[in-house]
Amino acid sequence: MANEALAGRALRPQQADPAARRAALNQVIIYTVLTVGAAAAILPFLYTVSVSLMNLTEATGGRALPSTPQWSNYTEAWRDAQFSLYFMNSVKITLISVGGAVVFCALAAYAFAQMEFPGKSFLFTLLLSTLMLPEAITWVPNFITVSWLGRISPIPWINNWPSLTIPFMASAFGIFLLRQFFQQIPRELWDSAQIDGSGHFRYLITVVLPLSSAAVMTLVLFGFVGAWNALAWPILVTTSSDWRPISYGLLVFLDEAGALLHLQMAGAIITMLPIVVLYFFTQRHFIEGIATTGLKG
Amino acid sequence: MNTKRLWMVATLLVAALVLAACPAPAAQAPAAMEEKAPAGEAMDEGPCAPAADGPLAGIDPRGQTIVWWHQHRGSREEKLAVIVEDFNANNECGIVLDAQNQGGYNDIRDKVNASTASGEQPASLIVGYQNDQAFYQLNGVLADFDTFIDDPAWGFTAEERADFFASFMEQGVHPVFDNQRLGFPPNRSMEVLYYNQTWLEELGFAGPPTTPEAFEEMACAGAAANGDGTGGYILRDDASAMASWTFALGGNVLNEDNTGYVYNGQATIDAMTLLKRMFDNGCAYFFTEGYPNPEFAARRASFTQGSSSGLPFYANDMVTIAEEQGRDMDVWGVTAIPYTTENPVQNIYGADVMITAGPPEQELAAWLFIKWFTTPEVQARWVEASNYFPTRAGTEAHLSGYVEENPQYGEALALLGYGAYEPQLISYQAVRDAAETAFNEIMQGADIQATLDALTETANELQEELMGEVE
Amino acid sequence: MLLAYSFLAPAFIIIGLFGLFPLAFAAYESTLRGLNKIVGSYDGLGNYVKAVDNLIYIITFWMAAALVYFAVQTFVRAVQEQRQEKTEPAQWLLPGLLTAAGAALFARFVFILLPEMLLIPSKLRGQANTQEAFRALVVETWWLPKVQIALWSAIVILAAGSVWALLINRRMPADRRERTYFMPFFSAGICLIGSAALTWFTWTEISAAYAEALEEGAGLELWSQIVTISAGFLLLLLAWRLWESASDRSANTGVALRLVGAVALMAGGWVLIAELPRVVAAGDEDWWNGLMATVFYVLGTVPIQLGLALILAALLFQKIRGQTLFRVLYFLPYVAPFVGTAAVFRIIFSNRPTAPLNSLLDLFGAEPLLWLSEPAGIIQMITGGKIDLGPILSGPSLALVAIMIYGIWTYVGFDTVIFLAGLGAIPNELYEVADIDGAGGWAQFRHVTLPLLSPTIYFLSLYAVIGTFKAFNHIFVLRQAAALGTTDTASIVIFQAFKRDTRYGYASALAILLLLIILVITLVNNRIASRRVFYG
Repeated sequence: MANEALAGRALRPQQADPAARRAALNQVIIYTVLTVGAAAAILPFLYTVSVSLMNLTEATGGRALPSTPQWSNYTEAWRDAQFSLYFMNSVKITLISVGGAVVFCALAAYAFAQMEFPGKSFLFTLLLSTLMLPEAITWVPNFITVSWLGRISPIPWINNWPSLTIPFMASAFGIFLLRQFFQQIPRELWDSAQIDGSGHFRYLITVVLPLSSAAVMTLVLFGFVGAWNALAWPILVTTSSDWRPISYGLLVFLDEAGALLHLQMAGAIITMLPIVVLYFFTQRHFIEGIATTGLKG
Repeated sequence: MNTKRLWMVATLLVAALVLAACPAPAAQAPAAMEEKAPAGEAMDEGPCAPAADGPLAGIDPRGQTIVWWHQHRGSREEKLAVIVEDFNANNECGIVLDAQNQGGYNDIRDKVNASTASGEQPASLIVGYQNDQAFYQLNGVLADFDTFIDDPAWGFTAEERADFFASFMEQGVHPVFDNQRLGFPPNRSMEVLYYNQTWLEELGFAGPPTTPEAFEEMACAGAAANGDGTGGYILRDDASAMASWTFALGGNVLNEDNTGYVYNGQATIDAMTLLKRMFDNGCAYFFTEGYPNPEFAARRASFTQGSSSGLPFYANDMVTIAEEQGRDMDVWGVTAIPYTTENPVQNIYGADVMITAGPPEQELAAWLFIKWFTTPEVQARWVEASNYFPTRAGTEAHLSGYVEENPQYGEALALLGYGAYEPQLISYQAVRDAAETAFNEIMQGADIQATLDALTETANELQEELMGEVE
Repeated sequence: MLLAYSFLAPAFIIIGLFGLFPLAFAAYESTLRGLNKIVGSYDGLGNYVKAVDNLIYIITFWMAAALVYFAVQTFVRAVQEQRQEKTEPAQWLLPGLLTAAGAALFARFVFILLPEMLLIPSKLRGQANTQEAFRALVVETWWLPKVQIALWSAIVILAAGSVWALLINRRMPADRRERTYFMPFFSAGICLIGSAALTWFTWTEISAAYAEALEEGAGLELWSQIVTISAGFLLLLLAWRLWESASDRSANTGVALRLVGAVALMAGGWVLIAELPRVVAAGDEDWWNGLMATVFYVLGTVPIQLGLALILAALLFQKIRGQTLFRVLYFLPYVAPFVGTAAVFRIIFSNRPTAPLNSLLDLFGAEPLLWLSEPAGIIQMITGGKIDLGPILSGPSLALVAIMIYGIWTYVGFDTVIFLAGLGAIPNELYEVADIDGAGGWAQFRHVTLPLLSPTIYFLSLYAVIGTFKAFNHIFVLRQAAALGTTDTASIVIFQAFKRDTRYGYASALAILLLLIILVITLVNNRIASRRVFYG
């Protein structure tokens, strides 16, 4: 099925009749597959939206659709969960950590992809092995670290932005991801950049990053999702609502909403909206081929 | 991503960093000021002056700031804030209490353990269950309440002490740690049976059951009325439910010297036999998609079982669903778990507050808040705000109006004297999970006696294993 | 070279603090015993023995052997190259080994400093908890004689080794400078020292365990188990080598080698089947069940997840109408907070006869299923449950399968987005050239897209394997007591040991075991990938 569908790559206005018919058939198959996939992805989700608009009787009675949509569920969830309070915190945390992650991961990934130095493969394996520890084990040592760093640095780390953002400013995931893309950039580009007298840093900023915009956007997107939905760590390192993120608001709200499924769902949808909007506006970057950014140069 | 955009991101990042860094120094300021507050060295007079003699002589609680980590959220948190504000404005010691929600019980536990591991000061007051106290005290994190309770200057008078229900006070005493009193009960909840009175009457019963037989008959009638698998009793596979049924049928899940578990006593076997039969006959069913209250409110269950702290949620859902369905609200209530003993035996549980070991002034100030918080007047306010049960007899006198308005609460309150308690052994968290699994195994058809024997063995092994780590 | 390190520095400082420190912490904790104690009492391999019984001795022994193997391999290669290329590796031997010793001493310093530092909180507990008191204790710990001695011995040896190496480098003619043998000998040295330490550690632990077993009158089992299980694994290894080399040989030799390999395989397998279950039975049952569930989970999710994502990404990359909409739709499951979606899946996979999936089954005239509450294995269920297939053959429980479906549903969007980024990085020109050459869609996919996408595929498969091995959140929220623990993967077992029981040492030992498993898989994956991944 996939094989056939992929033929669509070559889709052009064709002269020959059988080819046109084949192309049309391909289109049908592509749309069928995409629609089935979309249905699978979206049905549980539509159900969430549907439940979020029900009243309590309907939500717990196994109904598929609300008789009259209760938009007030959303205002109620917004108010009760104090989302407006936590929203700004999440924005700040996300911006700082994602910004840092892009800078630091890009630098390290570039070194791994384009430079030679002793211990490269060892360091890379070491990097990967940090991914392999179950998260539950890492919380206590990391809490010790942020607590101690807070005691020797001028500003406290606990219940402050550093503990929420700095640990996420460099991730093995991000470095690994960017390295995979940086590695694909042809060596000739570096050679010609050198002739132009540009150093590694300038080459990274002016050539490598633009060519890997899709990968960088991916990193931004997943950094954003991770920071936005993080819960366990933020609860551990915050003690007041000064720096608590939106997911904490959702948790508090879910507890209060208890069995009120419809409000739960409304709260969940409110929290995810910003990410959906972000993806909607950035997703163009994921499909632009390298050609459009001028590889030939 | 072109250079311009990169710069924009960088600028944003820097701006965010600057923004973020700003409030930090301000946050430190009060702490710095506090250190300058005079420590009471002279034997001054006046309200809240340090005691001249006794074990706590010379310790000055005045002007302390106390942090309280609790799990109360939503409306409970709001109403608690009002009470705390009152304390802060009016206590003659000038103590400032900062009540902070820290997530759920598990989150608080994680935070206390992480703080202990890192040397970070946990809050002076923390909320948690009795078996948490044992975990904390392995590191010497907690202060002994008896120091304060028995103190002639700051402690309770004999009448005050006697006013507290002895059994609740007992729960925080730990034989493993030299009988220290590591927890203090600010409130309690209990395992109750929720019933739909209107529906029971329609089915031809006068009122809620007191015996297992009557309970089974009524649940089966409810199930028959619905005829779709619902209508009966919603099974609760939680270990607290299992303990409750064991208590109600005259047994216990702890052995006689409270050092091990007995899950294969006759009462547990009888209880599981009853529940299994009801499940097989369709008079009881599992509902695993969330809390059971809406099921109950929508007449899909005639009985549910759970903590009395769920009362406000049940009350809400009963009103909401009756309104939505355009009918009169059913009369409903809570009652004891059906029992075979002479009087009901109720599983009473609830978190304690603990004082963490710290500077003596802070410990004392924390105690003074607890002392105030559990005075009958204040406890009555808290109980009304939270729907929990009081922990001293004197509070009831202040609750008459509330009980009239909330008949279900009154019904449960009347059961407060019939308490029994779940184990506080260090392995109880793990054993709870094992008990829950055993409950399900039985419902899925495993032999009751064999499963409970195995559970008892597993539970005692778990206890042994954890104690093995301590030595 | 310095620039490379300065590029790495910021990321590695952060990852060192929040990635490597937890690793060192876990390694240290795993040798300790105690409830809710960061610095418990020393217990050697005790926690590991609790988890996997005598198997741990075999693992450590073979780890030591593997390290020696790597070291010897390096030496052999150096000698070979010396013969062929007339280089002089011998002069690098001593500085390499010396620096390795320095590095090992540095690791020793870390593990001497770490427990002392971790004791600070308990020292702090008695006194006023101020920043000054804390700093004073840190300084005091730092200046402890044994810490200082460890530190300076490491620094001196490290400096001696690296200065020596620099001097050699200086003396060499410029055109030969590329051919240094410093790193190979350095890593060989690390391997040798590591192997010696591991061997000594294992030996003392085995002797202690053996003495204890003798006292209880059950002496011989330990040794026979170690011998038989090692032999079993050796035979399997041999079979694999034979099989591999068979493909390079001529037909007849190849067949013969394969035959021998098959015999070795069967013999090894038989020994293992005879002996392993007894060791497994002596270990922690929850842990073994958790591992089995994890393996089911990984095998059941990773290939499906990646396959679906690849298909969807390839299709989404076409010029079709409604592209944007489709892409956003596929991404939704990943971004939705899982508290919300988990609640929905609990309803969908409910055991109620009227629940969505059961209603669907009813439509087809099938009996309702218990889904998330079903502990029976799916293969067992498919075969009608008449024959008891045992825990492995009966497959993952239906409850675990339901959780797998939820996992796949969540992560397909994630994989798709990364695949899209990979596709976006493929130059359009290549397709245009292929078009001119008259390559069809499948040919283009096979010969242009797949090779150029291989770095992304490699990345995603590795990341997915690591991710699923330690998958936790959605399993934890969807697990139900009615599934009787069949959904508890290794990470759940670790979580319960760490959080619920506060057995830090034991949980850390389990985590290290899990890490070793993932590490081995990663290395194998790397070996395979190094042949297949293509960088443009």
